[in-house]
This record gives sequence, structure tokens and C-alpha cells, in this order.
Amino acid sequence: MLSCCAKLSCCQAGCFKPRYKRLVDNIFPANPEEGLVKSNMEKLTFYSLSSPEKLDRIGEYLYQKATHDINRRRYKLVEIAMEAMDLLLMACHAQTLNLFVESFLKMIQKLLEDANPSLQIMATNSFVKFANIEEDAPSYHRRYDFFISKFSSMCHGSNDNVEIRNNIRMAGIKGLQGVIRKTVSDDLVENIWERQHMEKIVPSLLFNMQSGNAREEEVNEEDNEPKTPPVLAESVLRELVSRASFSHINDVLKPLLTHLDHHQLWIPHEFAIHTFQIVMLSIQPQYSYRVVETLMSHLDTTASAKTKTYIAVVLSAIISIAAGESVGPSALDIINNLLTLLRDSVRRDSGSSKNPTIGQYQENLINALGQFANHHPDYQKIEIMMFIMNKVPTFSKKDEVDQVLQIILLKSLLKVSVQYRTVSFEKAFPASFLQPLLKMAKVTESKVRIIVMEILQALIDRHKNQQTLSVVTIKKYHSLSLEPPSRSDIIFANKQVGNLMNALINSMLLDDQVITLESAYTTAALMISEMGCIETLQEFMVFIFHLQNKALSLEDLTVRHKCNLHRIAISLATFISRCLGIFTDYCEQLIDKRRQNAPFLLPPLTEDSSPTLHSMNLEIPDELLLDRPFIVSVLQKSGIRSERLQMESLFPSDRRPSLIDGISTRDGNLSDTYPDIDSIKSSPDVSRKALNLQELNMLELNFEGMKRILTAPLESVKLEEVNKEKREQMAKSLKEQDFDELMKFNESSHDHIQNKLNELFNSLAMDRPYLNNDNTLNPKNQKPIYEKNFPELFFF
Amino acid sequence: MEDYKFLFKVVLIGNSGVGKTCLVRRFTQGVFPKGQGATIGVDFMIKTLEVENSAGQREAVKLQIWDTAGQERFRSITQSYYRSAHALILVYDLSCQPTFDALNDWIREIQEYANPKVLKILVGNKTDRDDREIPVRVGEEFAKAHDMYFLETSSKQGENVEKLFYEIAAELIEQARQKGGLSRNHHNSSVTNLGMKNNISSFQSNCCSGGVGTNNNSSN
Repeated sequence: MLSCCAKLSCCQAGCFKPRYKRLVDNIFPANPEEGLVKSNMEKLTFYSLSSPEKLDRIGEYLYQKATHDINRRRYKLVEIAMEAMDLLLMACHAQTLNLFVESFLKMIQKLLEDANPSLQIMATNSFVKFANIEEDAPSYHRRYDFFISKFSSMCHGSNDNVEIRNNIRMAGIKGLQGVIRKTVSDDLVENIWERQHMEKIVPSLLFNMQSGNAREEEVNEEDNEPKTPPVLAESVLRELVSRASFSHINDVLKPLLTHLDHHQLWIPHEFAIHTFQIVMLSIQPQYSYRVVETLMSHLDTTASAKTKTYIAVVLSAIISIAAGESVGPSALDIINNLLTLLRDSVRRDSGSSKNPTIGQYQENLINALGQFANHHPDYQKIEIMMFIMNKVPTFSKKDEVDQVLQIILLKSLLKVSVQYRTVSFEKAFPASFLQPLLKMAKVTESKVRIIVMEILQALIDRHKNQQTLSVVTIKKYHSLSLEPPSRSDIIFANKQVGNLMNALINSMLLDDQVITLESAYTTAALMISEMGCIETLQEFMVFIFHLQNKALSLEDLTVRHKCNLHRIAISLATFISRCLGIFTDYCEQLIDKRRQNAPFLLPPLTEDSSPTLHSMNLEIPDELLLDRPFIVSVLQKSGIRSERLQMESLFPSDRRPSLIDGISTRDGNLSDTYPDIDSIKSSPDVSRKALNLQELNMLELNFEGMKRILTAPLESVKLEEVNKEKREQMAKSLKEQDFDELMKFNESSHDHIQNKLNELFNSLAMDRPYLNNDNTLNPKNQKPIYEKNFPELFFF
Repeated sequence: MEDYKFLFKVVLIGNSGVGKTCLVRRFTQGVFPKGQGATIGVDFMIKTLEVENSAGQREAVKLQIWDTAGQERFRSITQSYYRSAHALILVYDLSCQPTFDALNDWIREIQEYANPKVLKILVGNKTDRDDREIPVRVGEEFAKAHDMYFLETSSKQGENVEKLFYEIAAELIEQARQKGGLSRNHHNSSVTNLGMKNNISSFQSNCCSGGVGTNNNSSN
């Protein structure tokens, strides 16, 4: 038919051709340079609007013409055909477009396949126009494979001419943007999130972003149209990420991480941080924690220590963005993951010699943790702190890994605690947090204790006095800000100061380094400044006298250590007297006396271990010591409670720390019944019974058996006549001590039994591995029984 | 209507500098570009050829040729192109032992990312060089061991280049026909099932003979 036409003259051929073909032919000018014949194009448009059923044939015909022209390299005519298609696409209504679009896309593909850059760019522009059209019924069979592949390839354009290269790359990015827009909103069309697509799109965008400094160029941008590939790529990435639903986040992130790996963009980390900030800021906020989690798991799989260090920096840079949105479990999940990373790092690297990169890596992780916690409300910080506290390995088994881990986790804890703004102590120190923390203050490793002190200081210090109080002195502290404690503070102080002070004294006694002593002093002074008032005064005085007693009575302390303790005692006494304006004169007098007779009993603390000091026989006359009866009388005169100060034994829980220490160092020798009177006194028979080996042997070593042991003492106590002496003791202690003190006792014995039982179980587990399950179950189940039992002990 | 009956995607892979781009350029444009820089990301070329089918008719075949960057850093994006390929051309430089040594890694990549039935062709490039390090036999054996076709080429002299692509086209058509019911336009040509086992031996002998007898002129 066509060949037949060709033989005829032009005008005749025109008559034979269908009308739409004639209309199409007419839009092409005689001279290609003249461009589209506008008036004829209007006719064609009008025609296709009035008879839309012809539209698909028009499209097909235009495509054929263009194919023909491409093969003959008549690019001008191709451009005209494309322009005509664009105009038709714009002019026609959505419902008639469907078939036309097929030829339209074929046309675009044809143009893209050609090596001519201007055709490719033109095709891309047409594609973008198409992508912006809302189709009524998306055609589900349409595939974008080729377009994604080709546009990605264009994003890597490497034409020698910079301008052409940039234009090609811009076109590629715009094309990808078009595909994303076209497909992302409709689940039924091609799934853009599929791996094969994302692995092309994401690296292509990143490749362009990394090739220029987008941020600098942004400043120069005045209109909204991005002008360079990096800027455009960045905005497309934002768009892509912002459209990612929860299940698709990983689809984007995985190629992103792989790209950063392959192009070694972690070191230096500027680009990685920039990229991740973009991701974090454009992702739907409720999903941002997923990014953090993904990054952390990537951190976990990365082998190179150096890269890890840098990834951790990236992590700490972006984690705060996630913090605002993650609440509850997801927040703790992130913390947990961070702690796991830390633990793994400690475990893995403890064997090797100290590597500075690993230290840096851990430091970065801790920073990230701090950053993360920083953006949480305070009530969650407490949760986080408790969570971390629970992860700190408690038993110090001389295990090097555990010790390192202890330090690292406490450092993390410190990071969080400095960000916490204490309002009420009761909220800042829930018992389940304070107790393990204080336990940590008693470990032998001085580094650990210092960190614990810093944590305490951070949480206690509400008025930023820490810096001021870091120096041990009897001089007046200037620029100290004080505020009388609130009612709830006083309640807290009465409840916990004993415990806290006890921990401080222990810490001070454990070694004589000035730095540990000073940190304990600062903690004590902060407590005084925050909680000191008439009601709590005696608690603090008990502490000070107790400290003085220790310095006097303990023989194995060095002279220097003793002196330092006396110095701390006098400084604290002076400090508290000044804070409360009570017995200040007495303190001044005592200081004067010491200044004259024994200046070595006054601050500052010294590291001095000169022989003169060592050989010195430290006999301190009573008049140079803090005088308890005198203080008591002063307090009584002012009507301040002082009954605790008058008691014979200042610290009822005196022996507790040594008990616990004793147990932890003992190698679980079962036949060794614990000889301490104190513990027997405080918890009648329980410990003795439980630890009696012979009885144990008779019992079955299963859960029921253990339960029986635990319940047995109570019954036997009831049955058995408790001897009078014991009753008297008990009655006396009940009269003299308040409830809290008794609680303290029982806590100690509680610990004690728990420890002993743990030991027992451990040794049993070693002997009989097959009993393992029962044994591990038991300690957990015991606790409630204890808690039930203890209050009842007060009944008799 | 269409100007071709089949459309196949061919992806070239192999270490940096083995001559993938030159191979494609020689085939699509008939030139040997001197001082060709390293490919960035992925390059795209198209070539329509006419292949005589078993019935003696000439059929138009369009080859979409994706020329990937050999550099390690682009590995993530190039891998994504393997998946939809109908044929993978794995190229090494026969005058450079390390590029041959890397083949095992490439095989692993193919196993991981490509369609398991993809048509695989091993190509030893640069036969024009006189400092050959990999004997023909070694390449052949490697190909045999990994179920691949084998050919040695020279982009510089154009030796076996045409043959390589024509053989691929012919083989892919054959496979497509055997699969049957193959539609002939590109919109759904991606469903072609490739690399059918019973077919491989015939092609291999065909191809290998071309490879061994490097003196043969590759007419088409």
C-alpha cells in the first residue's frame, strides 16, 4: 500500500493517506531548521481532541517517522516529532492517553538508545513531563526497567565536555526522579523499592552528590531550580527517602551503605555524615530510629577498626535526630544495641594490645549514646540510666574484660547523667538504680570508683557547684550557690544519706590516692550543699565522725592516708558549719589549734610520702580532734535531733562492706560456716541454716528442695524457743534503730545470703553440670520469697 | 512494525583495564578508541544485527549492551545490572595474569547476583599483544569448568569481535525459540529463559573452535 503510494505524485499520495497521517506530515517543515509548524500543530491537536480514538494511531505514526529519522540521523526532525508528542500529551485528556502513552514511551526509549546526548536529554525532559501527568488508570503492564537502567547510566555520564557531561547527568537524575514519582505512589505499578532498582538509583544519586560540594553551591542558589548534579541528586534523595515507608527503609539504606563502603566514603566522614543527615531529616520521623538501628547493625558487620571508628562518629552525629522521635522500647532498643556494640568491642579487643583506634571507637560509641540520651526527656534519661546500670557487670571476678566493660559502661552512664537535670533526688535515685551504683563505689579498682563519684556528683549537683567544691579546703568557698532543700529532698536525705556516705567512706578507705579522696570529698560536699539543713545535719555529722574514727582506729592505713582523712573530716565539718551557720566558732578554734600544733591535719591533701611523714607516729591529742560530745551538746542546745550521734556505734551497718567484700573474695568454701556475729544477729538463723552443708546434702538439690530451705528457717524459728539473749538483742536494736536502719541490716543479710547461695549453686553446678537448669532457675525464684519473709522478721 | 524481532540484554564484566569498553566500541561503532579512560558506573550501547536463523531467514536482533565499570568502587551499581541480563560476557586480559586470577571472584559475583540460567561467555581479550601470559588452553579449561563459552578476541584488530556478538545473538535466539511462545517485542522479552543445558554443548564446540583457531577470520 505504502510502496504503491510512493509511486504516485505527492498530492495524490496526500489524498490517499488517512487524515491523521496527513495532519502529522504537515507539522514537519520543509526545512528541518525551521522547527515545528505551529499552525499545523494546532490543527493536529484540535483533531486529536475531537477524535481521541485516533490518538493512539497518531502516536504510532509519529514513532515510526521518528525511528526512520533516527536511522537516517535526521535529528532535527526527530526533535520535532518528540515536541509534537509532548504537546499532544499535554493537550489531551487523561482517559484517552493510555494507548498513546505506549508509543510515547517507545519514542522516548528510542531516543535514549541513541548515542546523541541532545536526543537523550530531550527524551528525558519529555519523560519528566510525562511523569508529572496524573494518569487515571495506570497501566500495570508498563515496565520501567530500561528507564531506570538507562537513567542510572546517564547519572554516571563521563563525556569529556564538562557541560555536556553535567547536562547528561542532570538529565539522568531528573529521569530517575520522574520514575520515582511515577511509580512510588501506586503500589500496583512497578515496585520501585525492589532491590534491582534501588541498587541502581541510590548509588547513582550518591555518586553525583559526592562529586561536588552540594552545601557550598546551595548558598549560591537563588531560585528553587537546582542547577548542578550534586544539588539535584541531593533533592531527589530527599524525595526518595521521604516517600519510603517503614518496610522500604532498608531497601534504600542497604545500597546506600554498600555505596559508602565501596567508595570508601567513611574516612573522612564528612560526606557520610552529610548523607545521613539528609536521610534522617527527610525520612518520616517515626521511622528515623530504624536508620540508627540499620547503621548500628552495619557497624557490627564492619571489620576494619578504623572504619568502625568513623562510622561511630557518623552515628553520634545523627543519633540525636532520631532521639526526638523514638520513645519507650525503641529508645531502649537503640541503647541496648549501643551497649552490645560496646560489649562486643571490649570482648573482641581485650586480648590484643591496647589499640588507640579501638579506644577511639569506644569513645565515639559512648558519645553517640550521650547524644542520644541528651535528646530525651529527663524521665526517660532515668530509665536509660537504670537500663545501663543493669548492664554493668556487678561481680568483680578479676575478669579483665568485665573490668574494662565496667569502666566503659559507667562512662556511658556518666555521659547520660551529666545531661540529666536533677529536680528531685528521689526521682533521680530510684532505689534500684542507687543500690547497684553504690555497690560499684566499693570496688577495688579506683578508676571505677572515680567514675561512680562523677556520676553521683553529676546527679546531685543541681546548682553547678561541682567545680567550686572540687578542692578540699577549710577556706570559705566563694561563688557557691545554695538553696534550702525541699521537703522531699529531706526525706530522701534521711533515707539515703547513710547509704551514700557509707559508700563514700569505703571509697576513701580503699586507697590513698589524692584523686580518689578528692572525688569522694566533692561528692560529700555536694551532698551537704544540696541536702544540708537542720533536719539532716546529724546524718552528715555521723558521717564525719565516722570518718574520723576510721582514720584513728584502722591500723593498716598509711600515715599519709590517715592525715588526708582527717583533713577531709575537718574540711567537711567546717563546710557544713558554714552552710548551716552552726558551731562555726568551734570549727574556727579547732582549725586554729591544728594550725599551731599539727598543721599536717589541715588541707590541702598531699601525695607526700616523705620518710618524715612515714616515720611519724600519728598520736593526735583529743583536743585536736572533732569533739563528739561537744557537738552533741551544741545540737541539743539548738534543739536539733542528735540521738544518732549519741549512740555508741556510730554506723550500725559498720561491718557491712567488709562482709560483702569478704564473701566475694572467699572461694565458696561450703563447710566454712560464716562466723560473723553481726549477720546472725541481724537475720536470725536464716544464714546459718541455709549454709549448713550437712543439711544441704540431705536435701534434694532441686527447686523444691531450695524452696524448702528457704521456708524452713521461719518455721523452725517459730517452733524452736529462741533464747532470751537473742530476744534482748533484737528488742534493743528495734528500740534504738529506726526502720530504715533495720532495712539496711536486712538488705545486707539479704545480699549476704544471696551471695552465699550463688556461690553454692556455682559450686554445685560445677560438680553436677546436669543440674544446671535447676540451679540457674533457683536464684531468680528465691527473691520474692526473701522479700516476703523479711518484713515478717520484725514481728518478734 | 518493530524494526527488530528480538531484544537481548548483554552485560560485560571483568577487571578494570581488560578492554571491555573497547570491545563494545569496536563492535558498535567499528572503532578502536585509543586512550580510553576508565568507565564510570555503567555505559550503554545499542546495536541491531541481522542473524540467520535455523530456517535460513534473516532476523533483526537488537542487543542492549551494558558496559560496566571494572573498578571495585562501582561494584555495587554494576552488580544490579547482572540480574536482568540475558548474557554475561566475562572479559580478561590474556596478557595480564591478575585479571585472569580474578575470574574466580567474578564467577562468585555471577552466582550471587545473576540469573542462574544466564548465558555466560568467557573472553580473553587482546590477542594482538605478543606478551601473552594466559595460554589458550588455560582459558578454555576455565570456561569448561564453569560452564561457559570461550573466545579470544582483539578489539584492536577486530578479531573475533563480531563473531562474539553474533554467536551470542544466535544462541539467544535459539534458546528463545526452544523455549517457545516467545513474544517478539522488547516489552516482555525479559522473560526469556536462558542457558538451557542441552544446548550448551553444541554452542560450546562451535565457540571454542573459534577460540582455538585464532587464525580464523571472523567474517560474521
